[in-house]
Amino acid sequence: MLEELSLHILDIGMNSLAAGATVLSIEVLESARRNWLIIRVRDNGRGMDAATLRRVLEQRRSSTKSKRRKGIGLGLALLRQTAEMCGGRFHIRSAPGQGTTVVASMRLNHVDRPPLGNLDDTVLALCAANPDVEIRLRYRTDSTTFQFSSKEREHHEPRTTQTSQREGTAAGCVA
Amino acid sequence: MNLEQLKRLKEKAQQQVALREGHKKYRVVVSMGTSGIAAGAREVMKTMLDEIEKRGLADVEVRVTGEIGLEDVEPVVRIERADGEQTTYAKLDPEKARRIVAEHLVKGTPVENLVVGKEKKP
Repeated sequence: MLEELSLHILDIGMNSLAAGATVLSIEVLESARRNWLIIRVRDNGRGMDAATLRRVLEQRRSSTKSKRRKGIGLGLALLRQTAEMCGGRFHIRSAPGQGTTVVASMRLNHVDRPPLGNLDDTVLALCAANPDVEIRLRYRTDSTTFQFSSKEREHHEPRTTQTSQREGTAAGCVA
Repeated sequence: MNLEQLKRLKEKAQQQVALREGHKKYRVVVSMGTSGIAAGAREVMKTMLDEIEKRGLADVEVRVTGEIGLEDVEPVVRIERADGEQTTYAKLDPEKARRIVAEHLVKGTPVENLVVGKEKKP
């Protein structure tokens, strides 16, 4: 398990960049009212066929002697395990040419749920990883929505919205 | 997360783009596969970006790569000099990353006790 959910998001995002994505959308919903934390990462990369999908979800590490298949780590299997352990579900949808969408849900108050952690360091690392890719972040709580896009330019009105000033709901999101 | 932090995030993201422009003396490549991330590669990268910005090092760019086959000694960073010399550092943490910036990238002196590999590519 990775220590923070934001590290899982970074891990998935790195897969997306490796898949040649030009747009990477990260959505996080943190609802105390409904007791859910839902993460969705969607890209427009090259996608995976059914066989590759099966392989990435296998937790078994390929033989230590043979070189591991490039670009395929344990990350998704670990996230699935975390989601299922925390009363949620894991879903991945992908097809060649159709991009990939990964959704993981978990109970917000589950005792084993990892903290969301530092989401903006994750976005920064992804921006640094490939500045040509548009990284979008949408973070919602019951009362607040934040939006960010790495491709927004200065002359545009910021699309960032803050519907409420309730402090504390986003704690753990920022160092 | 608030508006001010988001604005800063955007500025930093754009600085990343600006950092890519022009000819660079050094390229810093951070291993950011699953094992690197699990071992703390994000914090190492963040520290290096902050130090590079703080010191105004215009001739350094930072990139990332996927798994590079050194899972047991992550976080791993490779420093590539324009003339082809490559130095690989392993088992890093933010403190060691700061030393690498201060000594290798600023003074040109590799931090020998952290180096795990060196080679020269044409």
